Amino acid sequence: MSDKQRLERDIKMLIIEALGLEDISVDDIDSEQTLFGEGLGLDSVDALELGLAIQKTYGIKIDADAKDTRNHFTNVACLAAFVTARQAA
Amino acid sequence: MKGLKLEHLLLEPLELRLVTTAPAMNHAQLWTHALSLAAGLQARGIRRLAVHLEDAGVLAIALLGAWRAGVSVLLPADLQPHTRQRWDESVDAWLTQASDLDALYQAPLPGAALDLDACQLSLCTSGSSGEPKRIDKTLRQLANEVDALEALWGADLKDACIIGSVATQHIYGLLFRVLWPLCAGRRFGRTQLAFSEDLQRASREHPRFAWVASPALLKRMGDNLDWPALSQVSRVFSSGGALPVEAAGSLYDRLGQWPTEILGSSETGGIAWRQGAQPWQPFAGVALSQDADGALRIASPYLPAGHIEHTADAARIHADGRFELLGRLDRIVKLEEKRISLPMLEQALMAHPWVTENRLGVVQENRASLGALVVLSAEGLHALRNQGRRTVTQTLRQQLSQHCEALALPRRWRLLRQLPLNSQGKLPQAEIDALLLAPRPKAPEVLEQVEANGEWTLQLSIPPDLAYFSGHFPVTPVLPGVVQVEWAFNLGQQLMAVPTRFAGMEVLKFQQLVRPGDTLELHLRFDPQRSKLYFAYRNDDTACSSGRIQLEAAHASAG
Repeated sequence: MSDKQRLERDIKMLIIEALGLEDISVDDIDSEQTLFGEGLGLDSVDALELGLAIQKTYGIKIDADAKDTRNHFTNVACLAAFVTARQAA
Repeated sequence: MKGLKLEHLLLEPLELRLVTTAPAMNHAQLWTHALSLAAGLQARGIRRLAVHLEDAGVLAIALLGAWRAGVSVLLPADLQPHTRQRWDESVDAWLTQASDLDALYQAPLPGAALDLDACQLSLCTSGSSGEPKRIDKTLRQLANEVDALEALWGADLKDACIIGSVATQHIYGLLFRVLWPLCAGRRFGRTQLAFSEDLQRASREHPRFAWVASPALLKRMGDNLDWPALSQVSRVFSSGGALPVEAAGSLYDRLGQWPTEILGSSETGGIAWRQGAQPWQPFAGVALSQDADGALRIASPYLPAGHIEHTADAARIHADGRFELLGRLDRIVKLEEKRISLPMLEQALMAHPWVTENRLGVVQENRASLGALVVLSAEGLHALRNQGRRTVTQTLRQQLSQHCEALALPRRWRLLRQLPLNSQGKLPQAEIDALLLAPRPKAPEVLEQVEANGEWTLQLSIPPDLAYFSGHFPVTPVLPGVVQVEWAFNLGQQLMAVPTRFAGMEVLKFQQLVRPGDTLELHLRFDPQRSKLYFAYRNDDTACSSGRIQLEAAHASAG
């Protein structure tokens, strides 16, 4: 398993745990699957919760002054790329 | 900026008076658009209008235009198919996007005062019976409320730009984000900003700003924000649900001011306000009393004259007129400020052929969400056995999604053989909530147990929701053989004086799968000579499994 795959799997586990999702396992979430609205069906409150959980777990900060920060939350692959980039910064 | 009465907003165009930000609209533009819309509505003979618009500036045009044309306005809470269907008969047209207004514009009607008692606005909310409830208000009620807000906080806010994180379809957002700033001459943001990063960026564009927010956002604002810049905020309003004390305290630490909480409802309008952990201070003119159950009763200038609203909020009123809330007396819950009627969703679930009975409750974790206790029908059990738990819960969520927003869809499901009703035939809400918090069962339900000649016969019900079914297997849950052995061992220990240490198994036979909802007969017999526990599971006439468990005394040596 590559670092990228491992990070994506960890983020899926974080999503399942932080949002208390039942009957969904890591294998049920595709890295490219849309998380909010259609797709996994998460809502804006989940987005807020997930934002806090990601910042806490990975010790990173979401740049509040950058536009479109929420685009990083489109799917697991975007989130993983975002976490990697912020950790390197 | 000089204040205007709500009824005088369409008297004359005022070019220097600003209304919205990005894109900017001044009062003269608002005036022209509203009167053009009024002309179009009149020309088409539209008398009743449903309005659901995300842009607060367009909403202002729609409301004023409709009122000028004598058209009553209904603000549905959402645009779910079910909601549209419900109100479709009661309205002549829907305005759901800016282009719907464009299609109606005609040469404007002349400016005029609005009739405070003839102009109507209806709000929608969940009623306690489960049916969505329509609340009709006159413009006078809304105008009284706007006057009171300006008298209380107008001097503080000065020319602050009003930035909101809440929708304008509900009374709080409508008053605080649209009607009040319109009358006071304060600019307001057009869009609902659900994320704190967006709120920060909008705030930075104005030397003075105030927030119309709700606990959903305020309790989740992170360290990544520029708090020194945000502490310029003139005032932080919060409404829609209780703001946890810790969240209020955290805002105080970061902003140097307590958020201003507004207590109210669609029915009553504003009732009271507070800052920090203080009792609630009723708004001027609001008269409180209580009924025999301790529920708050309200008379106020924001209600129809002479009307006393009976709320379902238990309260304690202090000698100085301030009060504390002690919780709801009905089955309406709030999730992230959304009022949700548990009976309505329960009825919707009942409509599915897989469901025989169900009860909903609130599960409080990182976020509060709903949980469902469900007794499956024979058809539902069949689906569980052949398609798996996830298919069942997803299908039931799908059923509910026709009736509510995604936020209200139960996230936790507990499948029960029957509801554990009390002797009055009821299941108290506290009991529902406790059942939802409990982990999924790991033991069978013992329905009956009899002993004859040293042999025990037990009737066991296999819980549909047994923890062991997860992943074993996802689509066709079956009871693992090792669990059957463990149950025989455990039940043997409970029923008979037998040695307590497990020392091995022999002649194990697994002949028939055991599945959720099965009722099994378990035979248990202990042979003291050989120190073996004999077990056999049967399902009617079919043998499911059998075997012998070797037991030894806890202190016996292994050799």
